[in-house]
Parts: sequence; structure tokens; C-alpha cells
Amino acid sequence: MRFNLVILMKIVILGFGAVGQGVTRVISLKREYLLDKYGLQLDIVAAVDRSGAALSENGLEPETLLETKAETGKLSQYPEYGVEGVSGLELLDEVEYDCLVEVTPTNIEDGEPALSHMQKAMEKGKDVVTSNKGPLALSFTKLAETAQKTGTNFKYEASVGGAMPIINLAHDTLAGSDVESVYGILNGTTNYILSRMAKEGSSYEQTLNEARELGIAETDPSQDVDGWDAACKIVILANSVLNRECALEDVKVEGISKITPEAMALAKKEGYLIKLIGEASQDVLEVSPRLVKEGSPFAVEGTLNVATLKTDLAEDVTVVGKGAGSIETASAILSDLLNIWNSG
Amino acid sequence: MRVNLVLELLDVPGQLLDVLRPMGRLGANIVAVIHQRDVKTDEGKVPVQITIEGDEETLNRVIDVLEENGIQIMEVDGVLRREKITTILVGNIVDQDLKDTVNLLNQLPGVRVADLDLKMSDPPERSASKIVMEAREGLKQEVFKKVNEIGDLKGFLVINEI
Repeated sequence: MRFNLVILMKIVILGFGAVGQGVTRVISLKREYLLDKYGLQLDIVAAVDRSGAALSENGLEPETLLETKAETGKLSQYPEYGVEGVSGLELLDEVEYDCLVEVTPTNIEDGEPALSHMQKAMEKGKDVVTSNKGPLALSFTKLAETAQKTGTNFKYEASVGGAMPIINLAHDTLAGSDVESVYGILNGTTNYILSRMAKEGSSYEQTLNEARELGIAETDPSQDVDGWDAACKIVILANSVLNRECALEDVKVEGISKITPEAMALAKKEGYLIKLIGEASQDVLEVSPRLVKEGSPFAVEGTLNVATLKTDLAEDVTVVGKGAGSIETASAILSDLLNIWNSG
Repeated sequence: MRVNLVLELLDVPGQLLDVLRPMGRLGANIVAVIHQRDVKTDEGKVPVQITIEGDEETLNRVIDVLEENGIQIMEVDGVLRREKITTILVGNIVDQDLKDTVNLLNQLPGVRVADLDLKMSDPPERSASKIVMEAREGLKQEVFKKVNEIGDLKGFLVINEI
């Protein structure tokens, strides 16, 4: 079916790293599909990185944005529409748009600058889609209240488990079922390390170095291996899925650095694997290494994520998916954009 | 209806009577009792098989009262009433820690440490020990809480089941 009326959604992308580029690529890849299926045209009216911005109210070319970034590393070099040194916050005052895609690097200290970006957009009546965990884990209640007060859409499926559907699954698909608890493997880097340790019998340090060399672990892997990344996600799930008001400081966090080959071997002997598990219920908020049965849905390898929702009616629902990756994470952002479009 | 129970009793006088008396009092009909004092479990207890008859409500009441009286019911109609709980501790574990830990866990009602495994390492801080417990159904969370307390106290990393 071809729609006679094409509706335009103007979006601003703040942050042009892996996720921002992924969103741009997905918009380019799906242009025809979105027109055919939804009669929707997604126009990127501004994109911002550290260097500055590219902006045009008639929409920028996704391919040109990607090429400019790849060749020069700077969006401010975008032909004709590039501007140097403009900040995200300033830009949100100047540009006409419908939806902010907030994908700046996450900050788990104070959530900035993403927190201010999102607040500002919503206060001006704009919808917000984000993959940014930090501000959500620190100030979920504040952001949700702003969204409610201003009547705007605030969507963050990509902030937990990348492509793995979990938040919208709980809100929409499982509507009517009460979610009692949620637990899962929510960090790909640690899952990779623990899977390798289980398989090779190697030490934690050795395996972490290997993961670094492969680019799976960052140079400073502390947010992942100390459990803080998973803790951010468990806070987001507790707030959004369990309606439990909480923040990062409320989580009991234990990482994987103390896990030894000896512990792995003992677990294996009993038919278990050790995984870093985040768990949230009305009285638990925790990230810690746990034993999972070999052969169970939680025995996933590599950088996969998995999560189980325990519900009253549907009982256990378990999902598995790619927890990171540029296009994969962008898929969750696109689904949020489409949900907003469908609800409007 | 009928139900087959497998119990484990202490090998002391009067135990069997303590089991049979409430059954009669509550109105259950005792169909069979298989009791061999020569056969013992690892813990030195005597397994007893009892078949009783009555309406469902009476039979459930009997099971509740037996458990209230601290009788260990191992199986009901072939279904195990006890579950296995596994935990792993990591840290500088010495003999004394293990003994303490096992004692503390055994003090929990309805819980018994069934298996222990220790892997020492060099440096000793990386040693790990696996503890397998048998517990009455529904005690898992309580057991994990206790294990976490012990871990906090002794500075061990505790790895519980999910």
C-alpha cells in the first residue's frame, strides 16, 4: 500500500558516535520501507558531535552525514550546512523539530549533558528517544515527571539490552500482566569474559586483556566489569517496568573481578555457569555474579544479553538479543520512533 | 484418596508413634507402614514409608501437622519435598571458615549441608569452595540471605543460584 499523504517527522540527533551513526544509517536503509509501510518520512534536521553541527530545516542527507563523519571526523565539515562549535543545548533552541534522539556518550556521574538536553526538549513540548543510560539511572523520576507534565513521549528501549526488546515488551505486549520481578544478563562485555573463562579455564586478568585486544572491552573497562553498566540498566527496568522509584545509589553492586578459574571449575562440576546477573523486584535491587544452569536460557555465550520477566498472568517470559552494536541499538531507537508516530 | 509419604525419622524410641498418632487423630486411615530400622540414611536417620487414606483436606492437614512437628517429609507420592541449593564462596578460605559456615547453615531449620568441595589456590585469596545444601522446599531465599550474611562477615565473594 502506498500512502497518499506522507507525514514528516523532523528529528535532531545529539551525539554522533556508534549509535548516532547507526540511527542515521538505519534511517537511510529504511527510507522506502517507512514510506511504503507507514507513510512516514524521517528527516534529520540537525546532527551534533563534539566539533559542532550540521543543520538544515529541509533535512540533511543521511549518507552525506555518514561520509562527512567517516572522512573528517567532524560533522561541522558537512558541505554547506556544517557549523562549528555549536552546542547541543543552543541548537535545541534554534531548530524546528519534532523529536530529539539523544545518543551522546553516557555519563553515570551526573548524567550530563544528556540530562539537560532531554529536559529542555520535553519542556519545549518535543518527544525524546534515547539510548543513554546514565541520566535515566540517576534521574528517572525527574525525566518521567517532565514527560508527563509536558505531555511528551519519552522512550528509552535502546538503553537496556540494545536490540533486545524488554521495556516495550513489558509495557505493550504484556500489557495487563503484572511484572513481579525482572532479572537478566545485561552487559555483553562481562558475559563475553565469563563465557571465555568457563570455556578456557583462563584467569580473569588474562581474559580481560584478550577482550581488550578484540575491542570488546574498553581501555577502561571498570563500568562494565565492576557491574555499574548493568546496575544502570537494572535501575531503568525497576523504574519503568516495576514502577519502583529508585536510582543508581540504591543498587547493591558486585562485579566480576573476583571470580577465579577455581570458582568456575567448581560451578561446572555441579552443572552451573557463573554469570553477572542484574535483578530487580519490589525488595531486591542487585547486580552480582550468580550461578545459572548449563543448558538453561541464561547459558548464553559471547556478548549476548538475556532477560526474564516474571509476571502474574504470563508467568516467565525470556528474551535474548544483541546487547550492543551500532545498527542493533539503532533498531530499538527506530522502534521507539515508530511507536511515537503510531501513538500520535 | 491415598497418598504415599516417605519420611526420615531419628532412630530414637517413640518417633514412629509421634508420626502415627496425629494421623489417627485427624481421621486419616493408615494403610501401610514400611519401617526397617536396619536401613539408615547418610545422616543416620531411618526412612519410613507410610501410605494413608482419607479425603484430600484431611491428608493435607496431616502433612501440615507433621511438618509443624518438625518431621522431615522427603517425598509425597514420589515427588521430592526437598530441594538442592548450591552456592560458591571465593576468598581466602581456611578450614575454620568452612567449619563455621557449615555449622551456621546447619543451624537453619530444615537445612542440611550435603556436600562440600574446596579448591585451594596460590595466592590463597583465590580459593573457592562449593557448598551443596538440601533444604525443605521454599527455604531457598532464606538460605541465600544467610550465605550472603556469612560472606559479608568473612569477606568472601558469594555466588548464589539465580
